[in-house]
Amino acid sequence: MADFRIPGAGRVNHGKPVQFTFNGKTITGLEGDTVASALLANGVHLVGRSFKYHRPRGILSAGSEEPNALLGVDHGPARVEPNNRATVVEVTQGLKTISQNHWPSLERDIGAINDVLYMLFTAGFYYKTFMWPKSFWNKVYEPIIRGTAGLGKPPVEPDPDTYSSRFAHCDVLVVGSGPAGLAAALAAGRSGAKVFLVDEQTELGGSLLSETDASINGMSGWAWLKASVDELAGMDNVTLLPRTTAIGYYHQNFVGLCQRITDHLSSAPQGAPRERMWKIRAKQVVLAQGAIEKPLVFDGNDRPGVMLASAARTYLNRYGVKVGNSPVVVTSHDSAWLAAFDLARAGVKVQAIIDVRKAVPTDLKATAESLGIEVLAGWTVTGTKGRLRVSSVRAKPIDGGSEQAREFACDALLMGGGWTPSLHLFSHTQGKLEWREDAQTFLPAKHVESSRCAGAGNGEFGLANALQQGAAAGQAAAADAGFSGSGASYEIAGEIALGGTTLRELPTDRNTATAKAFVDFQNDVTAKDIRLAVREGFKSIEHVKRYTTTGMATDQGKTSNINGLLIASDAVQRPAPQVGLTTFRPPYTPTTFGAFAGYNRGRLFDVTRKTPIDSWAEEQGAVFEPVSLWRRAWYFPKPGEDMHAAVARECKATRDSLGIFDASTLGKIEIVGPDAAEFLNRMYTNPWTKLQPGRTRYGVLLGEDGFIRDDGVIGRLSTDRFHVTTTTGGAARVLNMMEDYLQTEFPDLKVWLTSTTEQWAVIAVNGPNSRNLIAPLVEGIDLSEEAFPHMSIAEGKIAGVPTRLFRMSFTGERGYEINVPARYGRAIWEKLMAEGQRYGITPYGTETMHVLRAEKGYIIVGQDTDGTLTPDDAGLGWAIGKAKPDFVGKRSLSRPDMLKTDRKQLVGLLTEDPKTVLEEGAQIVLDPNQAVPMKMVGHVTSSYWSVALNRSIALAVIEGGNGRMGETVHIPMPSGTLRAKVTGTVFYDPENTRLSA
Amino acid sequence: MRQEEHPLIGRSLDMPHAPATIRPVEDAARFNLRISPDNLAEASAAWGAILPARIGELASSPGRLAACIGPDEWFLIAPLEEQGAIEAAFSALYAKTIHSLVDVGHREVGIAIEGPAAADVLQSCIAFEVGAMAMNEARRTIIDRVPIILFREAQERFRIEVWHSFSDHVWHLLAGICREYELGV
Repeated sequence: MADFRIPGAGRVNHGKPVQFTFNGKTITGLEGDTVASALLANGVHLVGRSFKYHRPRGILSAGSEEPNALLGVDHGPARVEPNNRATVVEVTQGLKTISQNHWPSLERDIGAINDVLYMLFTAGFYYKTFMWPKSFWNKVYEPIIRGTAGLGKPPVEPDPDTYSSRFAHCDVLVVGSGPAGLAAALAAGRSGAKVFLVDEQTELGGSLLSETDASINGMSGWAWLKASVDELAGMDNVTLLPRTTAIGYYHQNFVGLCQRITDHLSSAPQGAPRERMWKIRAKQVVLAQGAIEKPLVFDGNDRPGVMLASAARTYLNRYGVKVGNSPVVVTSHDSAWLAAFDLARAGVKVQAIIDVRKAVPTDLKATAESLGIEVLAGWTVTGTKGRLRVSSVRAKPIDGGSEQAREFACDALLMGGGWTPSLHLFSHTQGKLEWREDAQTFLPAKHVESSRCAGAGNGEFGLANALQQGAAAGQAAAADAGFSGSGASYEIAGEIALGGTTLRELPTDRNTATAKAFVDFQNDVTAKDIRLAVREGFKSIEHVKRYTTTGMATDQGKTSNINGLLIASDAVQRPAPQVGLTTFRPPYTPTTFGAFAGYNRGRLFDVTRKTPIDSWAEEQGAVFEPVSLWRRAWYFPKPGEDMHAAVARECKATRDSLGIFDASTLGKIEIVGPDAAEFLNRMYTNPWTKLQPGRTRYGVLLGEDGFIRDDGVIGRLSTDRFHVTTTTGGAARVLNMMEDYLQTEFPDLKVWLTSTTEQWAVIAVNGPNSRNLIAPLVEGIDLSEEAFPHMSIAEGKIAGVPTRLFRMSFTGERGYEINVPARYGRAIWEKLMAEGQRYGITPYGTETMHVLRAEKGYIIVGQDTDGTLTPDDAGLGWAIGKAKPDFVGKRSLSRPDMLKTDRKQLVGLLTEDPKTVLEEGAQIVLDPNQAVPMKMVGHVTSSYWSVALNRSIALAVIEGGNGRMGETVHIPMPSGTLRAKVTGTVFYDPENTRLSA
Repeated sequence: MRQEEHPLIGRSLDMPHAPATIRPVEDAARFNLRISPDNLAEASAAWGAILPARIGELASSPGRLAACIGPDEWFLIAPLEEQGAIEAAFSALYAKTIHSLVDVGHREVGIAIEGPAAADVLQSCIAFEVGAMAMNEARRTIIDRVPIILFREAQERFRIEVWHSFSDHVWHLLAGICREYELGV
């Protein structure tokens, strides 16, 4: 392969060769190379095919703004990632890279037929072409378009890497470590402020890494850079983060940073995170992100070998790589001349500098002449040639005729259209932008966060400006954060003026209708597309963006936005600021999902709460279901049992003899104080004053709107102490609601609330043998029917452990809920299991619990209620203390519409075919023969197979349900309409004889 | 038959070189005390040591910690064998000074985070500036969505009090972060 590396040049390690592959071919780069610089050192410019036209594409830039050189990167098994920018991926030994969007090969790509048919693929092509028939869009067109669209292949295996995250706080966060950022960090760091300096590149220094002409304070740029970084690294109050991209800037100076940790290492320690997401809260932020060079827009500006002049200079000075042997430079700006000069001094034959300006600075001209470079001022470029690499460029005088055109043979074309300040992070804050007519660019104007911009990102170009502004911004930021320091001044030598002009498309004598003058390289949007969009009526830049796709995709228009805007503004004949700039959205550069997920994957994916008895259930092979954040045992299948069989067995065992259930997840609140009963009077619908210590009551909690919010059994332990239970999902919500009312509505009440949900493990034993099971184990509580009837509570001991014992039932059988301090939970459970063997004790899960309670018509808040049911609607009118002066929701219950008889009311449903189990959520109609859409009068809320009744049962809410007892309603299902009879909600043991059986 | 199952007891990290490590804290009696700040002197007398008056303040005496975590709320930790005496003392106090003392000994699990990088380990998942906590400061906060109370007992020693159902999540989270610090990346 051709060698374009200059021995000893640049900042790469010439003693450390690194081998990697590109499309299977081994490429040798050097430590410090990016994939792009290593490919260029080997003479490779062609790296991919474009998105739409499949045109051969090369490396445009040397930074994160790269729109073209997107590669698949393979770091090993399951570590394959598409769309990496070759200009930022560091070479590592053994790395595999592949080009994208072509078949069968990069050099011969069938898809390039699109390029020949380009007249068809204009802006809005899909919208115009795939209009008819309309029904084809969802089923035919869109799937095919989506199938062929997109760049690269997404990985299919689970990501084997780990990711990390970290919060941090600092006084001054400096984003960008070019001269402005370094000067800011130095000023702030010297003042003693806690400083973070972050930069997306592998090395701190920004533009200084490519700058070899100027000197600072008598030192070469590189010597000053080293001294500055050394000084910063020596400060305890300064954190330096290279390889770290500030991806988003959020409210109150909260900035997200993504740090790359292991990708550049050929071997990383086991368990090391691949990336880390920093979440920084900074008192002050200095944005020193610099500027991105603008491409020029002309026919054929996308051929491999056509690149930004600044990129060529970076490859030469930083990586020691010549991008060609006979380049031509085309520019509207002074800075591109520097690339020509540096290349010429490195021995490259620069064919010509073509500058669209008629008047160019005389010093530049003189230098060019001294280096033997031909200068064509007032000339334009009208086209390029070359299939897989630019081979020649056509230029002509802007004011001259076509006959004066000249063709220059070349192997690289370096373009410089001036500079676009990087406004991305500033824009994330919704800071106000201001249009600068002289510079034809937007600049940061009014900051809404505690932030400052400095250097080229602020439109102040040149080294002296960057250092001076950076130092001032760093000092001011530190001062605003409470640190004072003295200013720094910098002596610059060797800097030349950076002037230039801004153009839309370059002037041409050729047919612009056939020109392929690209604005957005990544989305294959040409100047013609933008003008067409405007002709078709799109006047707003946001609409032009969506119609043409310019500025979309992973590069977010870093190189294309301003060119696109200037062309659109010319086409609509309105000034640029009225056309506007599209919104920059975070992240600044593509960011892995892993970095966002951080630690939250695998077992840390979500918080999973487990009860003290969970481990026992797991050992027994229980099947679990999530209930709010908890996982609960759903059912306990025996070998060969499916869910239906297991639940049927669990139900039968509990009704026949004895079942045991882990109810630890129930919310619990201890309410203590002399006004505890009065507080409950005001919160719950029920009366509490007369509830005696040792007794419990079922309570219903409403919202201010009168609708059911929660329910639970509440026990009175003593005059001043209650043990409240809530639903599992409602625990935190109910406590918050109570605290809210206590603090804002009832501050006069002497009562305090404490969450005891997790203080107690709760074991429910139900069935005719439940008392027989616990009686020998309980101490200090008289379990006789007289002393401890249904709905009692007492404190004592069970198996030697303190307990709060409830006599209650959610199954309709005799039942006890044994509360023990949580850490005894599993031991007591196992003791009960052992002692219960003689009764055939059967552990059951949440599904059996649901079936048993539905047989009794006990509701589950959130399943049988949906936030629109009053106690009357749910058949709980008996739970309202009618004599109470007030409780939360009382007034709402007397509103006229709450008293209507046609409200949806909870009823039972028995299907005509007893074997049919209705689907929960199924809609109910009165007349199955009415026209569609039918009037739906309610829906099924709970539906199960009842073993006890040997038939299906269901609960439902139906308009005026209480007045429809015995009527038949209809449930239309895909397989046919089902019929069911409206009944009461209690299906089993309506006399409640079994509670004391 | 008094076999306790502590969700974390017995766990340890095998990371001899980590600059921070975690371990389960030995069992203790814990109470949530709610009382009017006007009655702090009586409460201190029942507790047997001065209860801190400022929110966020942590008072430690041998074997005991008392943190003020709300305008009228204290979180108390004492040796297990003192549980009965403390309950009796407050029970006696109730007759003349109303308050709420609730046993939350089994609600919580203690995790100690120790070592030069202890604050940094916690900072990985806690949004406020952990390193800025003073010695003997207590805060209610959130670690990776889990509500906790965080104590700083020494420059290089913190203690988390977390409900037991969350303790497994917090343990594995912190263990992974300690590993990250051991690797020094």
